[in-house]
Amino acid sequence: MDERLKKALDLSNYMVTFNNQKRVIKEKYRESSIFYYNGSQFTLTKDLITFVSFLVDKDNVNNVILTDDNEIPTEIEKLDEFLIDILDAYFNAVNAYYAEYQKLLKNRSTSKLAEYEEE
Amino acid sequence: MRKNKGILVFARNNSQIDYIKQAVFLARRAKKHLGLPTTIVTDCVDFLKTEQTDWEEIFDQVIELVQNEENKIDTNTFVLPKEQLSQKKFYDGSLTPKNLYWKNQSRALAYEISPYYETLVLDTDIIISNQNWLNCFDYNSDLLLYRESFELADIDRGEDLKRVSDTSIDFYWATVIFFRKTQENKTFFNLVQHIQENWQHYNNIFQINSPYFRNDYAFSIAIHIMNGYQSGNFAKSPPGTLYFASDKCILWEITEDSVLVLLEKPLYTGEFTPLRLKNANFHFMNKFSLNRCLDEI
Repeated sequence: MDERLKKALDLSNYMVTFNNQKRVIKEKYRESSIFYYNGSQFTLTKDLITFVSFLVDKDNVNNVILTDDNEIPTEIEKLDEFLIDILDAYFNAVNAYYAEYQKLLKNRSTSKLAEYEEE
Repeated sequence: MRKNKGILVFARNNSQIDYIKQAVFLARRAKKHLGLPTTIVTDCVDFLKTEQTDWEEIFDQVIELVQNEENKIDTNTFVLPKEQLSQKKFYDGSLTPKNLYWKNQSRALAYEISPYYETLVLDTDIIISNQNWLNCFDYNSDLLLYRESFELADIDRGEDLKRVSDTSIDFYWATVIFFRKTQENKTFFNLVQHIQENWQHYNNIFQINSPYFRNDYAFSIAIHIMNGYQSGNFAKSPPGTLYFASDKCILWEITEDSVLVLLEKPLYTGEFTPLRLKNANFHFMNKFSLNRCLDEI
């Protein structure tokens, strides 16, 4: 095979693998950006965090009602504690996403992307 | 009933696929990651007890499915509904199709069979690698099935897996079902049984035109009916993502917290690229490949 074509095909395989891994870690990030509270589910968006932070700043901390991802109203007993929890969960998710992404960028071969060492 | 909880898994072998082996692996992973007991429902109890001598440690209960009423020996024996077994093409990668019997017509009995108040019904070909599904038991909803899923291969399937057919109703996966024993859910599972018994009719009415009965379709139709013949929220989605790969892909390796899958390139039959999936709950449809990996564990 022409060396130029072989190199292009190797790169093409690398790119397909890279893009698939990228899709998966993005979905993992989306999955871990969900916070469960008393049977309700909240996606940790910047909107949610800003809104909760705003309410806490305005001293609305006790027995606050928020609607969850399914538009079900949920009572949050201590909103200041809820804010700490969602910030914690948000940064865990985004930090893990960042770490995985950096790892992907450093892995310059198909086998390293898939973390597979041939015996 | 005591408000206990657990996993229910149906495992019915055919001539080439050992679903029992998969169920054993699933039960072990369920215990490790979810801390939940698993009950197995099978029509090959003798095979299970011969192949898995430690079956009593692995499974909470073993429930036997029998063909006839006279074979019913105790409360842990259930009679199968009349089945019209059909053959389905099972793939071991695109290039190796095999026509085998698909014994999938017992899932509608889950409500009746389950010894638990809160039950998570799982396919045997699921690899559990995180605790996400524990959140099901805290949810306010009594019935959870996935409407959306994440396919590892980046394939544009159009409306497939979103609707049961191009002109029909929303698609739900029967791969993972969480339910509580409520009156509504009893009605729901009875409806699924009715749909199964009258499959040809519903297959035509909902323009599915499937050559065989499929649980995903029967549960989708039942949800549609329970929603008042429209889209609605009778069933909500379980927590976390359902990752899956079709039987055209190959499973290469299973570790404690990850899997290595060879994904077939779209449009290039028999050519693969690798993908590592970590800490995810994964539905892998190539049973042959899954069993080969299980043999190496």
